[in-house]
Amino acid sequence: MVIHAQPGWKSRISLRLAPSSKASSASSASVLDTSNSYGLHDTMRFGMRQIASEVSSKHPLENRLAEWDNTQMELKMNMARNMYGMHAPIKMAMERSLVIQARGPSMLPQRSNLGLDILAGKDESIDFEDYLNVPEMSTDMVDVHVVMERQIGIRA
Amino acid sequence: MSGLKPGEVNLGTSIMAVEFAHGVIIGADSRTTTGSYIANRVTDKLTEVHDTIYCCRSGSAADTQAVADIVHYYLQMYSVQNGKPTVPLAASLFQELCYQNKDNLSAGIIVGGWDKENGGSVWNVPLGGSLHRQPFAIGGSGSTYIYGYCDATYRDGMNQEECIEFVKNSLALAMSRDGSSGGVIRMAIITEKGVERIFVPGDKLPVHWEG
Repeated sequence: MVIHAQPGWKSRISLRLAPSSKASSASSASVLDTSNSYGLHDTMRFGMRQIASEVSSKHPLENRLAEWDNTQMELKMNMARNMYGMHAPIKMAMERSLVIQARGPSMLPQRSNLGLDILAGKDESIDFEDYLNVPEMSTDMVDVHVVMERQIGIRA
Repeated sequence: MSGLKPGEVNLGTSIMAVEFAHGVIIGADSRTTTGSYIANRVTDKLTEVHDTIYCCRSGSAADTQAVADIVHYYLQMYSVQNGKPTVPLAASLFQELCYQNKDNLSAGIIVGGWDKENGGSVWNVPLGGSLHRQPFAIGGSGSTYIYGYCDATYRDGMNQEECIEFVKNSLALAMSRDGSSGGVIRMAIITEKGVERIFVPGDKLPVHWEG
């Protein structure tokens, strides 16, 4: 965006305020996503076939809420890019990725990422995720191996 | 305005901005409606985005507030590093946001202010997200009733008092004809010295022919 205020010289950086209601990819799962070599749903790999995901259409709000944080972050990055130059969002993204990786194997996955919260500004606000479904109160049994595999990425 | 989503609050509105030698006069009515209920009868539709740059908001109240907030934030960040922003810069920001989000927004905005390079200037950013510099601009649902009046009354080179009377009379006419506009008239005089607010209560409005 322009530091010179001449109409006609504009950047094409997206300044979306809010995500769209339609999901960017197909909103419902198709059989092809989970099909085996015969063209049928592959129960061995993906579990029982779930009709709900194939039939029900999503509520228009669902995609907006799912993409909300990402969209706001992207708006901030784009504004920073316009304002300060390419280095600003690159530095912001770098800090984010450093903080996400910083989790060691000793830390249980349920603990929320403090660094990420600070970078996002969530350390100064109280939202519903701070009193509902709080990780410390969870009663799930934890298999450390599964958790580790998920973290590294060799398991979904 | 048909672009509103169900349950959304409508700014209805008559807004106006006029440029003169030393700055701009901006004005608006004060009615905000949800359907036929007047949710706020003393709304302030003149929103500051910088010291001497204001915007007049029409359309969806939520959309215009969101956009004005972002521009306000943006101009604050800009001014820290680059000094005072110019009015065309602010108008350009409004235009980018309104155009890129045009499928989701219902916002008609008039930007008016004073800066060192241009003096007073008025920039109209109507529904689609285009940008027009004009000597005077009217907007909102009530503006349709006063196009003729404004075109017939406006003259180049009016001074501050004449501009104030022009804005006051035009808005009063729009408010008397348009159901979604009414209440009081809020005006602001924006010059190099800053912003001076004028308030015209509902019982002191200029009266046009009322049959």
